[in-house]
Amino acid sequence: MSELLQDPFVQSSALPLVVSLILVGALHLLRRPLAAAGIAAGFLVVFVMVVGLPALPPPSSMGKLFWSSAIGLLLGVAADAAGLRGRAVSAALAAWLAGSLLWIALPALDSMAAVVSVVILLAVAAWVAFARASQTHGSEKAESPTAPAASLLAIALAVGGTALIGSSASIAQMALALAASAGGFLLWNWPVERHGWGVSGRVATGIAVLLAAVLTLFTQAQTAVLLLALPALLAGHVSRFVPQGRGLIGRAASSAAVTVVAVLPALVAIGAAYALTGGEASPY
Amino acid sequence: MKKTLFAAALFVATAAGTLTPAFAAPVSYKIDPAHTAVAFIVNHIGFSNVIGRFNTVGGDISFDKDAVEKSTVNVTIDSTSIDTNHAKRDEHLRSPDFFNAKEFPKLTFKSTKIEKTGDKTGKLHGDLTMLGVTKPVVLDITFNKDGVSPASKLETAGFSARGTVKRTDFGMKYGAPAVGDDIQLLIEIEAVKS
Repeated sequence: MSELLQDPFVQSSALPLVVSLILVGALHLLRRPLAAAGIAAGFLVVFVMVVGLPALPPPSSMGKLFWSSAIGLLLGVAADAAGLRGRAVSAALAAWLAGSLLWIALPALDSMAAVVSVVILLAVAAWVAFARASQTHGSEKAESPTAPAASLLAIALAVGGTALIGSSASIAQMALALAASAGGFLLWNWPVERHGWGVSGRVATGIAVLLAAVLTLFTQAQTAVLLLALPALLAGHVSRFVPQGRGLIGRAASSAAVTVVAVLPALVAIGAAYALTGGEASPY
Repeated sequence: MKKTLFAAALFVATAAGTLTPAFAAPVSYKIDPAHTAVAFIVNHIGFSNVIGRFNTVGGDISFDKDAVEKSTVNVTIDSTSIDTNHAKRDEHLRSPDFFNAKEFPKLTFKSTKIEKTGDKTGKLHGDLTMLGVTKPVVLDITFNKDGVSPASKLETAGFSARGTVKRTDFGMKYGAPAVGDDIQLLIEIEAVKS
């Protein structure tokens, strides 16, 4: 069993998927509005299991990413538990994300390229914080979680694939774990949507942005290709054009279609990263 | 009487000066990068051992040949200079998976104690700092020789050091234990008198 848990493929896929399914399920039973927090919580649990608990203060960018994610999770849980919405919460989310990005990026701001990268990451962070959640199909009550969760899965997949091709397997593992964690949440909301996305869900998307920052600033990976994956963040807007099926099968098909539409840009980004390396894999 | 006392005092002072050994002071040396090698051996999934080196090494040594315990060693290694004869692997080694060279461009070693174990051998105790983590390490050190090098015409001292460190102690956990945790160190140093 322990050998299985040591396998990098298991650590990047099955383990975070199972952990996320358990955590989202537990939150579903205990406090349904907090269910989306299971994604970030699952990511942090797998991080500790695979990498270990980072020191405080963290000496490295991955350590800063962990502790920033933990703070973000607390922010998301507090906001969702209190039922908070609106611009003030978005501003708090933006402040957390911007502060985390700058904390991680500071040691690497030694070139114009790094500064430009950070500006782009801050713009994406602002989108994550302030963009309106996708509209619920036919309902005004709760925000639909499928599109934003699919966006998160796609972005995390793009970061993981780019990292794997770009000689940074540990960042790839964590990004793919985040994608699998989002997958666990999606499974809980398929074919019937049971939970809202909330602030916790947006925090999880913010963690994907932080992973992209570490990959961009501290490795040689071709992270410019991640710009090709950004359309995945528009899955919520695109979902309005996806025909809404009737009945259980119809809804299942609609949700699957939204997920596929979101993942397509990620696959394009990964393909571009592979092409830029000349098709040569790293010698792990 | 006074002359006798003076002569006796003079005799005692001279005798004391003759019997007391002349203590050599520590001599300062600067590491000669052209004749210094910091190499390592790490097991690769049980199939073979990968041999690599750091190509940029610097530092200084204060060496007291007659009182080795008073000697000191300070070494700085450029982590971006890692070289395992494979560009892609070297890129991976510089990544956050291993040496995280962008965040931690330097490895440092500062000696804390030297124990003499033989005529030319000893144990070099020191603090190795890697990935922001400092841990004590012990190296088996051999003093090869010192003198004027016929090649450079400079006063030179040469040393060899061997040891093993566990990379996971420094937080470098990726791939362990499939990619070896125990890293064998092979160090050859020539240092030129400052």
